[in-house]
Amino acid sequence: MEKIIEVSGVSYFYAEDDPWVLDDVTLSVNKGEWLSIIGHNGSGKSTLAKCLNGLIVPQKGSVRVGGFDTKDETNIWEIRRLVGMVFQNPDNQFVGATVRDDVAFGMENHGIPREKMIDRLAQSLRLVKMEKFADSEPHRLSGGQKQRVAIAGIVALQPLIVILDEATSMLDPEGRREIIKTMRTLNKEHGLTVLSITHDLEEAVNSDRILVMNRGKVVREGSPREIFKTPELLEKIGLDLPLAIKLRRLLNQRGISLQDTALTQEDLVNELWTLRSTM
Amino acid sequence: MTHIYNSKTPFERAALDHVSLKISSGSFTSLIGHTGSGKSTLVQHINGLLRPSSGSISVGDFVIEPQKKKQDLKPLRARVGYVFQYPEHQLFEETAIKDVCFGPMNFGVSAAEATKRAEECLTLVGLPSLFWHRSPFDLSGGQMRRVAIAGVLAVHPEVIILDEPTAGLDPHGQKEIMELFHKLNKNSKLTIIMVTHNMGDAALYSDQILVMEAGQLKMSGAPEEIFSREQDLRNMGLDVPETMVFLDKLTDKLGLEKGRPVFTLSETADRVADLLNGGAAHV
Ligand SMILES: Nc1ncnc2c1ncn2[C@@H]1O[C@H](COP(=O)(O)OP(=O)(O)OP(=O)(O)O)[C@@H](O)[C@H]1O
Ligand SMILES: Nc1ncnc2c1ncn2[C@@H]1O[C@H](COP(=O)(O)OP(=O)(O)OP(=O)(O)O)[C@@H](O)[C@H]1O
Ligand SMILES: [Mg+2]
Ligand SMILES: [Mg+2]
Repeated sequence: MEKIIEVSGVSYFYAEDDPWVLDDVTLSVNKGEWLSIIGHNGSGKSTLAKCLNGLIVPQKGSVRVGGFDTKDETNIWEIRRLVGMVFQNPDNQFVGATVRDDVAFGMENHGIPREKMIDRLAQSLRLVKMEKFADSEPHRLSGGQKQRVAIAGIVALQPLIVILDEATSMLDPEGRREIIKTMRTLNKEHGLTVLSITHDLEEAVNSDRILVMNRGKVVREGSPREIFKTPELLEKIGLDLPLAIKLRRLLNQRGISLQDTALTQEDLVNELWTLRSTM
Repeated sequence: MTHIYNSKTPFERAALDHVSLKISSGSFTSLIGHTGSGKSTLVQHINGLLRPSSGSISVGDFVIEPQKKKQDLKPLRARVGYVFQYPEHQLFEETAIKDVCFGPMNFGVSAAEATKRAEECLTLVGLPSLFWHRSPFDLSGGQMRRVAIAGVLAVHPEVIILDEPTAGLDPHGQKEIMELFHKLNKNSKLTIIMVTHNMGDAALYSDQILVMEAGQLKMSGAPEEIFSREQDLRNMGLDVPETMVFLDKLTDKLGLEKGRPVFTLSETADRVADLLNGGAAHV
C-alpha cells in the first residue's frame, strides 16, 4: 500500500520549559484509508494534526506528506495543497465576511480557476446543506452551522487528504451521520484519505484503522477489531468502549454466554439472533 | 418570546418564533434540536445575553422585555451562570486560574476566597494543577472546556446554563462532568438547563426535555415521553439514545415488538435477556 504520510520519531514541545507534547511518534497513513485517532484530552491529537500539514515543525524526527518533508519551507505550499484541515474550533478557520467569500477565498488561495470555483462553491455548500446561508457572516452562525461551513471550505479545495479535528462534535445526530457518510463516499469513490480525530467510538469502529494516543505517545495501532480486543487498556487511559462491547459484558454476567468478537451493534444483534434460534 | 436577528435588514432571520415555556427551580432540563433550531438563542435570553424581540422572560423576580431601557443585569448574572458552546468565547484571562477567579471576584468575592473556589472547581472538572497557570488559549480543546465550566461553577450560581458542555471532552471526561452536574442538581438543588446533541445524556439526567425545531418549541415532557415518540424525533433530524437504537435493531431482527424506552445499559441488558428468554417484549 502506498504511504501518503510518514511520521518518524517525531517529538514536539510548545515552549522550552514545557514537557514534550509529542514523544517519539512514528506512524504512517495509507493512501485512501480512513484512519481514526482517539485519545484523552491533551494527549496530543491536535498537535499531531498540526504537524501533518506543516503548521508546526517538530523539534525531533520528520514528517513527510506525499514525499514532501515539512521541515523544508519551500514545500509548505505543496503540503497545504495536499492536506486540508478542519480545525477543532471553526472560528479559527474563517477569514471571509460571508460564507460564500470564505469558501471562495480558500479556493483563490489555491489558485483554482474562476469557472471551477463557482461550481465547487455551490457543490460544497450543497453537500453540507448550507446553500441558504451563502450570504451570512460565518461568525454569526449557530455552532453546528459553523462546523458545516468549515467542512465545506475544505471539501471545495478537493485535497488528497482531509484531517477532521473533531469536525462534527456540534452536529445533531442526523447531521453527523450525513456528514460522515458524505466523507465516506468521497473516501470510497474518489480515494480521499481521511484522518479523523474523534471521541465518537461508533465512528471509530467503522474506520479502516484506529490509532490510540496517550500522553503524547501512540500506544496502539490497528484495525478496530484489534484495538478493542484489549478493552482494559482503553479504559485505563480514560477511553470508553463501543456499546456492543459494554453490553456483551453485562449479558455474560446475566448468564448469556457470548463470544468476544462482536464489535458493532449489528454483530451483536446477529449473534443474539443466532443464539435465540438455537435455544 | 420571539427573537429576530438583524431585524429590519435584508439579513433578518427569525430564530425564535413565539416560544413559551416554564422551568422549575431545582430541575434538570435538556434542550435538543437540529442544528440552527434556536437552542443557543433561546438559552441566551435566560441570563440576559439577548433580549427578546417580542414577548418577555422572567427569571426569579427579574423580567427582561424588548424595551430599550438600560437594565443592570449583574444581579441576574450572579445567579444564572452560562457556559458557552465554544469555550474560546468565554475565556480571556492570562491564566486558567485567573480566568476562573474572574467570575467570583466580579461579583464581590475576595481574592483569597476566589482562589480557593477556583482551585476547588478546577479540581472538580479534572484539570491537573500543572495547567492552572497556563494561558487558557495554550490548552487543548477539552482542557479549555474544563476551564470554562470551572469558571461558571466558581460563581456558585443558582441556575447554570450549559450549551453542549460535553462536546470535545474525552469519554471519561464526559461521564465525569455529567455525574458532577447530576450531583450538583440533586444535592445542591442547582437548576440546570443543558443544550445537548447527546440523546443518552438528555435521557439519563433530565426531569424535562424540550425539543426545538426551526425556532419553535415542538415537544416537551419527561424523557420517557419524549423518546417514545421515535418517529417524530427522526423527522426532526434527532434520534433516540443508543441503548434504544440497539434494542430497535434487535427487536426488528427477532420480529418482536418494541418495548418502552430504556436508557441505562443495565436495563438494556435485562431487556435483551427477557427478549431471548420469553420473547414477548414488555409493552
Ligand atoms: N499553543 C499551545 N501552547 C502550549 N501548550 C499547548 C498548546 N496547545 C496545546 N498545548 C498542550 O499540549 C498538549 C496536547 O494538546 P493537544 O491540543 O494536541 O491535545 P488533544 O489531544 O488535541 O486534546 P483534546 O482532545 O482536548 O483536543 C496539552 O497538554 C496542551 O495543554
Ligand atoms: N448572531 C447572529 N446573527 C444572525 N443570525 C444568527 C446569529 N446567531 C444565530 N443566528 C441564526 O439563528 C438561527 C438559530 O441559531 P442558534 O445558534 O440558536 O441555533 P442552535 O439550535 O443553537 O444550533 P446548533 O445546534 O448548531 O448550535 C440559525 O439559523 C443561525 O444561523
Ligand atoms: Mg484537540
Ligand atoms: Mg447552539
